[in-house]
Amino acid sequence: MKILVCIKQVPDLESRFKPNAEGVWYSETDLAWRMNEYDEYAVEQAVQLREKLGETTELTVLSIGPERVVEAIKKALAMGCDRAVHVRDSAAAAKDPWQIASIIAAYAKREGFDLIFAGMQSQDRGSAQVGVAVAEQLGYACTTTIVGFEYDNGAITAKRELEGGMKGVVRMKAPALITCQLGLNVPRYPTLPNIMKAKKKEISVIPVAELLTEGALANTTSFHSPAKKGGGVVLEGEVDLLVSQLLGILHEKTAVFR
Amino acid sequence: MSAKLFKGAEYLISEVSSADVFTPEDFSDEQRQIGATTEQFVLNEVLPHREEIEHHNLPLTVELMKKCGELGLLMIDAPEEYGGLELDKATSMLAAEKLAQAGSFSVTYSAHTGIGTLPLVYYGTKEQKEKYLGKIISGEWIAAYCLTEPGSGSDALGAAATATLSPDGRHYILNGTKQFITNGGIANLYTVFAKIDKQHFTGFLVERTTEGLSVGAEENKMGVRGSSTTQIILEDAMVPVENLLGEIGKGHKIAFNVLNVGRFKLGAGATGAAKRAITEGVRYANERKAFGVPIATFGAIQEKIADQTAAIFASESVVYRLAGLIDDRLATIPKETPDYYEAYQEGIEEYSIECAIAKVFCSEMLADTVDAVVQIHGGYGFIQEYAAEGYYRDERINRIWEGTNEINRLLIPGIILKRAMKGEIPLQKEAMKAFESLMSPSFDELDDSLPFAAEKALLANLKQAFLVLAGSGVQKFMNTIKDEQEILLAVADVAINIFAIESAILRAEKILPALSDSRKASIRAAVKVFTFNGSEKTASAARRAAYYIEEGDTLTMLLAGIRRFTRYDATGLLQAKRQLASASIAAEKYIF
Repeated sequence: MKILVCIKQVPDLESRFKPNAEGVWYSETDLAWRMNEYDEYAVEQAVQLREKLGETTELTVLSIGPERVVEAIKKALAMGCDRAVHVRDSAAAAKDPWQIASIIAAYAKREGFDLIFAGMQSQDRGSAQVGVAVAEQLGYACTTTIVGFEYDNGAITAKRELEGGMKGVVRMKAPALITCQLGLNVPRYPTLPNIMKAKKKEISVIPVAELLTEGALANTTSFHSPAKKGGGVVLEGEVDLLVSQLLGILHEKTAVFR
Repeated sequence: MSAKLFKGAEYLISEVSSADVFTPEDFSDEQRQIGATTEQFVLNEVLPHREEIEHHNLPLTVELMKKCGELGLLMIDAPEEYGGLELDKATSMLAAEKLAQAGSFSVTYSAHTGIGTLPLVYYGTKEQKEKYLGKIISGEWIAAYCLTEPGSGSDALGAAATATLSPDGRHYILNGTKQFITNGGIANLYTVFAKIDKQHFTGFLVERTTEGLSVGAEENKMGVRGSSTTQIILEDAMVPVENLLGEIGKGHKIAFNVLNVGRFKLGAGATGAAKRAITEGVRYANERKAFGVPIATFGAIQEKIADQTAAIFASESVVYRLAGLIDDRLATIPKETPDYYEAYQEGIEEYSIECAIAKVFCSEMLADTVDAVVQIHGGYGFIQEYAAEGYYRDERINRIWEGTNEINRLLIPGIILKRAMKGEIPLQKEAMKAFESLMSPSFDELDDSLPFAAEKALLANLKQAFLVLAGSGVQKFMNTIKDEQEILLAVADVAINIFAIESAILRAEKILPALSDSRKASIRAAVKVFTFNGSEKTASAARRAAYYIEEGDTLTMLLAGIRRFTRYDATGLLQAKRQLASASIAAEKYIF
């Protein structure tokens, strides 16, 4: 059995973000990077399944991006993935979710994975589209935002998180793709022996040009900080006067009395 | 790692290039990941229980040590053939640095992995390692080291504990009391030092269940209250002869060699603790308002943040530079060398001066940092609910154990002189040259196009000042200089500050090209602030030494030389401090 888990490297969300020079994405200067949180749930679930199924199963981790994403790949290897694919792309951040999905799908088609894990969304772009678009392009069954997962001989039972605190259960047959949500599991820390062992695992590099065939369906036209809202007004003085003052403002500036 | 292999103390007599120093920015992906795993463990598993640990929930500490074992955090320094990872010192220091954020728990960890484990690793027989090492690196057993006694501390060889061979020749019978034993109450294996026949100082591996071994009451300590510290009492404790560690009468080698690494690791720990403390201080400064604005907007607060950020940068630079020095040297010893650990020990001992420097410099940096952090907190810094109060108490022990800072200071010129006598360091020759330059001032213009030109010129001069003082001291007192402790302390301060300033400058120079403009500005500011503070401290120590050593015209000449040798143009110092403070305040943490 062959399993793929897709991960993205994202900035530490505690960073201070600034738009880049082109004004269409954030500037990468001085950012610290880490594995996308939702992808950690995906890796953990994939590794648990890999451990359950044993040596006949091979778990591959894939990430698209510049040289720096190797650090996230190495973490996934240290968590227990068997091998890695780094799709080298210095302009990954400029691609839309459809294109990113097409790159993954092109690779996955070659390899014929039985099961693909992905995070529910990325913490930076947050489109939540890449996973489903990969499934669409591969013609795989797909379910999203899962918080529970079972696998038995090609049959997948996934618990999904729905709106309003509801949960749903989905059954699918492999080949399939699932996207993982907070609450699915607690990702392990890579242990020191595993970090060192991961050093010897294979990371194959594929230039993005080899896999990219699709054009963008969406373009980011502008990326900027939200406009600052005007400050509030503090009214002070006698209560009687305050009430009439407030009523005046409500009449004048709002639709409350209209 | 780097191109050139440096000898211990060589920095004092030669120029070091930035390409030859290891820096935290040189960490591999694996090292960074190990750092991340360690940090996550501390943040998620240890710190949430800080209160319980501080109130002496020792079973919880033991449980957390087992978790450390599962993560492999106890395997770093152990050999591969016994299930260890045998990683380099840089990695070991990084783990120690990250763990130091855990307060009392980090004391348990350091004692276990350092003085608890290393004697067995370095001096244990195959059988001893097979029997004990697996248990120790998995966290199944906790280890402790028993050297100090009620009547002997810094003079460890004056131990009164005795070992006598039993009539049947199968056991040593140990008697004595060991004092201030970290992990005493929770350990399963103790490395105990005692004198065979009251004269041969020797190490023994003693299991907790040994009949005749008892554990004293927990000490009620000023700081690191969550760690276990007890007496270990030996009353006719029967230790099997196969548990003798190393050779009879060679216990001092074990005792002192593990101390080198211990001192060095203490430096790494102090650096980690300081990073956490300053982060807390900056956060509080942003939160707390006075006169309607956050106190972080005040220059009085900003200056503390800037000074300490610069000092921590230097401290980090010292620790990892030393890690690089040691790792480079150890890498030259083939693993298959017979007596590998003998050669390994010699490799570490080469840098005993630098280990002592790291111990003193980093622990005192931490003392200044926690003091500043309490001060930033004002009255709240005095209240136990605030972490600052704990940092302040926990810091104090670092200037006492692993050799007091006085002992470590005395070691520095002591070892330098010993090596000079043996001809290993051309101290005399270099001192003569320095005297000559004292008489004939140079008027070389600074080449401002080179990075940190002013700082490097200062460094070269500070080294001259050191040589002149060391030379004068030796000339005046000859062999009795070793008894002139006040002079040795002052000269040690000069040597310590030179190493720290140099480490900060070389690291900055090495990493500068790859940085963004704003990071460049912060690094330059840190170098300026630290070099200024360091040069002032050096000047003061050098003057102290001069007054102690000389009088009359020679003194006047020395003082004039010191004035010239410690001159540093710190134009832009205030802007540098404000730059450093504002970057820290924006990031709300230690920024490097």
